[in-house]
Amino acid sequence: MPTRTLYAALNPADPIPSPAQLDVAEDLLTLLRDTTTEPRPDTQLEALTLAVAADLPVLLWGEPGIGKTAALTQLAAALDLPLTTVIASVHEPSDFSGLPVVGDDPAEQGVPMAPPDWAVRLVRAGRGLLFLDELSTAPPAVQAALLRLVLERRIGALRLPPGVRIVAAANPRSSAADGWELSPPLANRFVHLQWTHDHEVVVRGLGGTWPRATLPRLDPEKLPEAVDFARRAVCGLLTGRPKLVHQLPSSETRRGGAWPSPRSWEMAMSLIAFATAAGSSREVLSLLVRGTVGDGPGLELLACVDRMDLPDPEIFLTDPTAGELPARGDLRQAVLDGVVAAVRNRPDRARWDAAWALLVRALETGAPDLVVVPATTLASLRREDWDVPPAIERLAGVVTLSQRADRAAEAAKARR
Amino acid sequence: MTAQSATGLDLDKLFAARLYAARARPYLATALFALHTVESRQVPTMAVDRHWRCYVSPGFVDRMSVEDLAGVWVHEVSHLLRDHHGRSDRVARERELTGPGERLRMNIAADMEINDDAYGDGLVTPEGAVQPGKLGLPAGNLMEDYLRWFQLGPRTQELAWLDCGSGADGLDRGWELGPDGAHGLSEQQRDAVRFRVAQGITGHPGSAPSGWRRWAEDAFHPPQPWRELLGAAVRSAVSAPGVGEDYTYGRPSRRSVSLPGIVLPSLRRRPPRVCVVIDTSGSVSDAELGSALLEVAAISRAVGGRRDLVSVVSCDAAAQVAQPLCRAEGIELLGGGGTDLRTGFAKALRGQPDAVVVLTDGQTPWPESRPPCRTVVGLFPRRHEDGASYDEDDPDYVPDTPPDWARVVEIGSVPVGR
Repeated sequence: MPTRTLYAALNPADPIPSPAQLDVAEDLLTLLRDTTTEPRPDTQLEALTLAVAADLPVLLWGEPGIGKTAALTQLAAALDLPLTTVIASVHEPSDFSGLPVVGDDPAEQGVPMAPPDWAVRLVRAGRGLLFLDELSTAPPAVQAALLRLVLERRIGALRLPPGVRIVAAANPRSSAADGWELSPPLANRFVHLQWTHDHEVVVRGLGGTWPRATLPRLDPEKLPEAVDFARRAVCGLLTGRPKLVHQLPSSETRRGGAWPSPRSWEMAMSLIAFATAAGSSREVLSLLVRGTVGDGPGLELLACVDRMDLPDPEIFLTDPTAGELPARGDLRQAVLDGVVAAVRNRPDRARWDAAWALLVRALETGAPDLVVVPATTLASLRREDWDVPPAIERLAGVVTLSQRADRAAEAAKARR
Repeated sequence: MTAQSATGLDLDKLFAARLYAARARPYLATALFALHTVESRQVPTMAVDRHWRCYVSPGFVDRMSVEDLAGVWVHEVSHLLRDHHGRSDRVARERELTGPGERLRMNIAADMEINDDAYGDGLVTPEGAVQPGKLGLPAGNLMEDYLRWFQLGPRTQELAWLDCGSGADGLDRGWELGPDGAHGLSEQQRDAVRFRVAQGITGHPGSAPSGWRRWAEDAFHPPQPWRELLGAAVRSAVSAPGVGEDYTYGRPSRRSVSLPGIVLPSLRRRPPRVCVVIDTSGSVSDAELGSALLEVAAISRAVGGRRDLVSVVSCDAAAQVAQPLCRAEGIELLGGGGTDLRTGFAKALRGQPDAVVVLTDGQTPWPESRPPCRTVVGLFPRRHEDGASYDEDDPDYVPDTPPDWARVVEIGSVPVGR
């Protein structure tokens, strides 16, 4: 009976469990630890890898216990760097700014600030991944000392070699007990990555199969192209939107997060270059860019990158059958609008005709309602001596469609 | 000219309706055109999946008029723009709701969130659209709220056929093409479309109704619950370096033993003093004020403050609420009087607090200069019936905003999972 057994186990008169019992326990533990892995794309880990490779300080925001350390272990293995974890909350400020050591003649030689042993080992190795965990539970003075380490890479008298990469982790401020919060200048220096757990991954992992992410590899042949692409994307956006260059966060909700400044735009640019060279998906790029310049400017930058993928209107105006019209309706309309705008900017007969031919092509290959607005605008650009091209006949359906929508509007008005 | 697909879907009617919808709601045009239409005989009406595909039943298109179809287009695209699938998944996880019945409830709740302000202004309400009034519920609420207020029963019986697809409630359907199917939008592309729509609305705020404007403002910055924001602000005010804690040479550091000859400072902690100034002209509900006050007291206790170090300076109108609360919490209530915040500040600063927390509706003059301690303002938004926060008699009147040196948390804003 269970109660009897329990009682017997607790009875001090009984002999102590034999070592054999511990061996059995060891076997049980081995069985529990026996898990396998399966490949699974992991965007947040991929983003982290790219940011670390780009040598930018990363700040992982995440609730405790959701596998930040496990991710760092995997990252260190992938980049082939030894991992050093420093739990910030158990240290004093002097552990990061250096401990004063009194020599023979302090007045003559000064008091050197001795670095802790892990820093010495890191510098001696010349390379490694330094993980500053639990940043948010450290007292403010320790956090201040740590930030100097992150930003200036100095520990006491030592300077971390360039081969050392730094990642920090913090709990979201709503769950941090003592109000850890980044001031805007500090927030601007980090790539902020929100670390979340995937319910499915956790359940499957506890069932014995953890995910194994394939990490991005930079393609040496793509490097010049990647730099060119990144520069065009950022400059293309900022030329048209000067307001986005520098925007201090204003509302309480956005405090402590990423915001745009020339510094963070430069970081965003190198992240775009890294993501392009690694052939990463837009999801990864989105995490990185939004974590660097903030959500709004990040999304505008991504929209700008999307537009760079759209075909150039001038190609269609020289040859309406050349190039591919995007299948997605909103993109297709953006292209058609672009073509009409190009005709408006430099109107001449040949370009006008080419635009009509393209509209006919768009009508034949996709939804007709997209063509209505560009066709109306294009018709209004007609000069008196331009004859109506025969192609316009084939756009009659568009007119019918437009009229049908007008009739529906009237019917709706009547019903009200 | 009528275009029909091989199996009888009246594409002309469908696209004329979309054109009409885009004309009636120009700010939704990008989203409407981004939808990829898929003909499906398994879907009862029109439905969307989370990858922005729109499934259309040919019979449904035949039955409906063009203007009704336009309303359905707007309805379906609203599900996607408002991220109903993501929010359904989150609600399901948080409240542990499982099973198709619960997902049907989510679909109905999401429909009510859309339908109560999607129509009118050139767009007719499609036949059979679920309105909150039908279930005896107030309009203008969020899906998450509606979900708490009704159960499946006789009144929802006729809605059981309702099916807006996984885009509305997060439950994958058998007839959907799934994540690997053609013409789906990736998560980043979906965000881009939603962002473009939100940008269009905030760029021309006049043309969109308030519901959509609210959505656009919060689409990418979901407002956090004010409790968390106020907590973070108060916590950081009372635990910032130099407030409750500092280095002192009055006592030797515990490391001095190992470093003979060196004088190291030790860290000394002084419990922070917090003073709460309550200034309200009766527009604030007792419940909100009470919970804000309790929140401040709880936080200052959590960061090491003692009861006697939290004090309250009260103005007349709020004294009624503050008194019993303070008695219950063992907080000292310092006098009353004065509807001018400047006197409230002066009184509060006499106790040399480490942080001042002001709970106010902001309709007051503010001190000219920055007080010598950190200031957190809990702002109760003062809204009129129509939801606007300005004075109707004098549209140009703008109340003084809290000064730059204070951290402002708006209290009572509804948390919206986006």
